[in-house]
Amino acid sequence: MLLFSYLLMSGVTTGALYGLVALGFVVVNKATGVINFAQGEFFMFTGFIAWMLHVQLGINYLVTFAFAVAFGFALGCLTDRIAFRPIAKSDVVSLVLATVGIAFILKGLARTIWGGKADYLAFPPITSPDPIMVGSIMVIPQQLAVLAGTAVILLLFVAFFRFTRAGKMMQATADNARAARLVGIRTDRIYTLAFGIGAAIAAAAAVLTAPLTLLYPDIGFAFFLKGFAAAVLGGLSSLPGAVLGGMIVGIAESMAGGYIHSSVMELSPFIVIMAVLVLRPSGLLGPAKTRRV
Amino acid sequence: MAPFGRRNVLLALLTAAIVLPAFANVYHLFIANLILVYVLLAIGLNILVGYAGQLAFANAAMFGIGAYATGLLQVRLGWSFWLAFPSGALLATVVGLAISLPALRLSGLYLALSTLAFAQATQWVFLHWEGVTFGAGGFKTPPLSFAPLPIDKPLGLYYLSLVLMLGLFLFAQNLVASRVGRAFVAVRDGEVAAQSLGVDLLRYKALAFGISGFYAGTAGGLYSAMLNFVAPEGFDLFQMVLQKAMIVVGGLGSITGSVLGAGLIMLLLEALRAFKGLQEIVFGALLVGFVLFMRGGLISVLKRHVRGWEEPLRLPQPSAPMPAPRPIEAPAAGAER
Amino acid sequence: MSAAVLNVIDLEMAFGGLKVLDGINLEVKAGEIRGLIGPNGAGKTTLLNIICGIHRPQKGDVRLNGGSIVGRKPSSIARLGLGRTFQTSQLFRGMTVLENMMAGLHRRSRTGLFTAGFDRPRRRSEEKEMEAAARSALAFVGMADLAERPATALSFGQQRVVEIARTLISEPTLVLLDEPAVGLSANRLAELDALLRKIRDQKGVTLILIEHVIHLVMGVCDQVTVLSSGRTIADGPPAAVRNDRAVIEAYLGKELSARYQAS
Repeated sequence: MLLFSYLLMSGVTTGALYGLVALGFVVVNKATGVINFAQGEFFMFTGFIAWMLHVQLGINYLVTFAFAVAFGFALGCLTDRIAFRPIAKSDVVSLVLATVGIAFILKGLARTIWGGKADYLAFPPITSPDPIMVGSIMVIPQQLAVLAGTAVILLLFVAFFRFTRAGKMMQATADNARAARLVGIRTDRIYTLAFGIGAAIAAAAAVLTAPLTLLYPDIGFAFFLKGFAAAVLGGLSSLPGAVLGGMIVGIAESMAGGYIHSSVMELSPFIVIMAVLVLRPSGLLGPAKTRRV
Repeated sequence: MAPFGRRNVLLALLTAAIVLPAFANVYHLFIANLILVYVLLAIGLNILVGYAGQLAFANAAMFGIGAYATGLLQVRLGWSFWLAFPSGALLATVVGLAISLPALRLSGLYLALSTLAFAQATQWVFLHWEGVTFGAGGFKTPPLSFAPLPIDKPLGLYYLSLVLMLGLFLFAQNLVASRVGRAFVAVRDGEVAAQSLGVDLLRYKALAFGISGFYAGTAGGLYSAMLNFVAPEGFDLFQMVLQKAMIVVGGLGSITGSVLGAGLIMLLLEALRAFKGLQEIVFGALLVGFVLFMRGGLISVLKRHVRGWEEPLRLPQPSAPMPAPRPIEAPAAGAER
Repeated sequence: MSAAVLNVIDLEMAFGGLKVLDGINLEVKAGEIRGLIGPNGAGKTTLLNIICGIHRPQKGDVRLNGGSIVGRKPSSIARLGLGRTFQTSQLFRGMTVLENMMAGLHRRSRTGLFTAGFDRPRRRSEEKEMEAAARSALAFVGMADLAERPATALSFGQQRVVEIARTLISEPTLVLLDEPAVGLSANRLAELDALLRKIRDQKGVTLILIEHVIHLVMGVCDQVTVLSSGRTIADGPPAAVRNDRAVIEAYLGKELSARYQAS
């Protein structure tokens, strides 16, 4: 039971992180219709920035958090301006390759600035690393911090879409970009906002994750695939679906890793993606799509 | 005949390639051989992505499958290289064909992502199925001999690569200037219309995947022989991006472009060898830069400014679709009176 | 009595819960030009989509030259001799006009991977033949001098005409034209009218024409079928159909048509 609860907690925590990364995907995809292949690298890069601030410069964790999120937002906006806006009307091949290029630029920058492939950066734990018992479940306090952080971010999100004007404009653009333009919404600004928010969420996830895991430049791709698997599982146009998908991927992965073999964990995105695309392409909470000719 | 046209430039390159061993040291020969291997990869990938429009990220995986199959058949089953090599290429082809089946239901982003996931799964197999693949450390392949010909391995392998590259280049060149090539572009530019002209989507998508698998598998077998060693590193995501950069820089939808792109990128890679981080930055920037500013690749610049570089089929320029105004119905019926 | 090229029998089609076609019956004879008209949403394009294999009907049958084609892939139906144009331009943008036309000959050739890759003489001679046929087909529609242009360089009207030519080049038995006149100026309309007549007279191919430009339909069609809300409400020669009460009601609505008939 202890193992099970440990695996469950671990899975829920990583699931929350995958859910955040997936949320970033879904926000961008809903607004712009593209998948940002640099999303994983946003996660990685802002994680490194946070490390630099907190570990190297000794800045307080919460301040680091705020700064990293702001940095992430700026990075997202920049990516939109460079790699999306100029070719927004282009074909899928170009859009994908442009964001892939950005991903590699970021990865190379991280490697150049902070060290090579073998350098795994350790982020000190924010809370005590000793596990505590909540009922009969073993929990590491940082995991609770992650879950709390995720919950806060989700609430902010819902509030954003429900109560702010920008959020409503984003929904309108996602629904029907042309109509949105016709009623005066500056859709190109909305796209920038979407990219910014997507990256900011990745940044938040990174700073929440950092105390629990080691940072290295190639971590971006792993989170990219898992985050995407979670997003696809939830249905690419569904925000709650992204979180749900993340949870499922996280828990399944943790269980498989614990009960079968740890190496199986890396295989989870592939299995999830293939299963979803073959069995239910619209995902768990996505809309059913009909094709009109 | 245009003096700096495509044909002459390619002939010049070929001549240079043939006589190169007389002037080059072992290291340069190795690099030249590597370029030939990458030209094969780039041509195969260009047929799939540039001509048939299938945004797939599995090429590096099939490269790996070719290398691993060629190596393992020798090491585990004692086969000779000359049997293992074509078998490896064939296996990669079969894998390519297998991927094309789900590809039929997926397009654009979903295809990209699922092939990416597939590539990662392949890496996983290379790393973890240690009983077969020897795991992360890789394995050595038996030395290759060209007996009874009196040439040593590097030279023999170089000329073998050159002959194969030449043959497969010409094959690809012929293919795209034929009904098959047009069918690929039709699949890329208008699936529905392509079907209405009798183009069987499954058949041609499978063909494109199979061809790219064959080219990648062949490249993989040669690569394993060049290094006498096979390990997972050579077939990862960076590899995949490298190959994409080659076809984008050279020119999507151009066989000659693939040659140019592969050559240039390989030389660049060599120049930046010491700095992996810098490599990633440069290739990422190349991708972004070319996609933004020179979508047709170098070949498009050549086509525009130098005589003799025309080619059949091309990459469509992005343009706003023509608006089709809808006529007003009810009054039209009455207007007939 | 000429043979029926197309038979549509008791066709029913629904998308989700919405019934789009409710018992359609149609018979088109060889060499005929059939007009298919009706208000928007009547199900005309859906009918075409079913005939060419894009959708599968819930009930009913479609027979091309006597053989049932329901459930077949669109490309295999095309290979049986069915051609189709679309409401939006579907020329292949990565090809020149000439290459587009040669693509239209796809089903007429069996050159496959190995012939194309290895058999240089045969490939070259086939390319020459296809090119000649393509040029001649372009000449037939008066677009011969556009052959070398990239497809994207054509005006909208030119694209439509080339598309029709591309559909005809493989000499199909039946061609479905989905609103070929959309967006055409009066000049171009007259040219289209002339082209359709020329096709009928010289090529002997059977045509089904969806159109909203009624005078075009009435002028060139031998028979007109009218669809409304998924049902056939009239079927006969143009003169009969244009005066048919149900047809006028479908277009103008009950009140207006009553006034119209009273006047």
